[in-house]
Amino acid sequence: MTRILNPNDPYYIDNPGRVKTIQKEMHARGIDVYLGSRVRTMSFILDAFCPWRSYIIIPPEGDPTVFTFVIDAIRLGDETWLDEDHVRAYAPMGGMDQISAVTDYIKEDLGIGKGRIAYEDGISTYTAEGNLTHWEFTRFSEALPGFEWINAHDIIDSISIIKDRGTIERFRKASLIVDEGHKAARAALENGGYKGMTETVIAGIAALAMRKAGSVSEWNFAGLNEISSGYRTGLGACTPPTNREIQAGEPLMLDFHSMFQLALGDHSHNYLIGPATPRQRWHADNFVALVQTVLDNYRAGASPSSLAEIMMDCAESRGCADFTVPGCEHGIGLFGDEWRIGAKADGPIPYWTDPDHVYRENEMVVCAMQYASPSEGIGFRYENDILILKEGCEVMSKFPLAIEEIN
Amino acid sequence: MSETYAYLSTEWRDEALRRLQAELPPEKMNNITTSMSNIYKNCPGDAEKFLMIECIDGKVTRVETGEGDAPDAEFRISGDYETFAKISRAELGSQKALFTGKLKLKGNMAKALKLASLADRINKVLSQIPTKY
Repeated sequence: MTRILNPNDPYYIDNPGRVKTIQKEMHARGIDVYLGSRVRTMSFILDAFCPWRSYIIIPPEGDPTVFTFVIDAIRLGDETWLDEDHVRAYAPMGGMDQISAVTDYIKEDLGIGKGRIAYEDGISTYTAEGNLTHWEFTRFSEALPGFEWINAHDIIDSISIIKDRGTIERFRKASLIVDEGHKAARAALENGGYKGMTETVIAGIAALAMRKAGSVSEWNFAGLNEISSGYRTGLGACTPPTNREIQAGEPLMLDFHSMFQLALGDHSHNYLIGPATPRQRWHADNFVALVQTVLDNYRAGASPSSLAEIMMDCAESRGCADFTVPGCEHGIGLFGDEWRIGAKADGPIPYWTDPDHVYRENEMVVCAMQYASPSEGIGFRYENDILILKEGCEVMSKFPLAIEEIN
Repeated sequence: MSETYAYLSTEWRDEALRRLQAELPPEKMNNITTSMSNIYKNCPGDAEKFLMIECIDGKVTRVETGEGDAPDAEFRISGDYETFAKISRAELGSQKALFTGKLKLKGNMAKALKLASLADRINKVLSQIPTKY
């Protein structure tokens, strides 16, 4: 059963309007049909969780049609706003493989036999990005010989930068859900509760609390809820939880992820499991000060490089620059839209965040900061969904910024 | 001894309609409305043939056979005459024929998935018709 869009829903997104905006840009660029393949493109248009390899065909006018793996097509049709005729499947059957199904649809159903076709290509740190593979590109090109292929992912990237009201509300909700995970984790750890507890167990305690609060997934590709304890906190910014036991006298980093209507809650919080040494406390105080400084400077008009500069100046003044990882944020959008900030793919290093990208009101990022002294076996991470405002920013997770010592 | 019908002949078509209506009441067809054209390639005598079956609210309302262009239908399945004949003789499963590319399906695969069991029921009835290929 197709989902009916309700403009009165606080989480409403005008998906048909998004399609029309894309089609307007296609028209301006002389593009006859758009073949999308990235996860972020599916989320942005379908407003449904689309984990299997999918292709969305956007005609010059009218509704798009998605082709997904046959095992998931009916579920996807039940969750998206597109009607049954516009949610199709591919399968390992004669005439129904990915290439045949998609190209037959373009040629026969849409009646487009030649012209300019947009596709999505590039490179990402994110394995699941979903750019068209070389094999796919080659086969599609052979099956659509009359077409000129135009890499046009920036159409959707540009349109998706500024978040609408419904998207922002979803992120607020996802962030409050993450806070429930942190509350549950803290309650489980305190008063000696951490003793004998592993990283995986605390990850699961938070996951249960977040699920009870409405999260449907610990969406993160790098280990769901990421946890590091002891020396692992100094290993960098990707720490899938292990069976290591949390121990007294060590730092602990909890990076929880929730998903609410494809919006991605993401908040990292740190503790010192007592007793903490003065040196550990010094590191912890440095990190909290750095995070607060960066948060105080997010606003429309700032850029990733200006914020990094402010952060490093602060770190230098506190004598902790050697432990501060340069860079303060990564991009964020609906499921699949992570890492790169902005739509520009031709910055100084192609397909990486343009350091001079200028933030605008209602843009969102994850403020993501990492502090590490591997030789001392200590590190911290901060992540939080941030909404850029004209003056300042809205920090969406309300869990208090601090590094407490808990016993 | 029962009568034998030439495959896809008008007599075979009429017998197919009679049997489908008798053996597949609307509730057994899940009260669906759909249609399917099978396109037979490489037929004896070279002409391309078709078999079209239409179902309205679960009732099989129409079975058409003939040569040349097939009537429009929600699903279009094409393949060699011999492949269809093997399916009708129950020597080959229709799903295996699709999965090995011997048959090609056109239409909304997501919808087709819901109809797979119904197509099997239809094929089972058709396979019971005493047929000369």
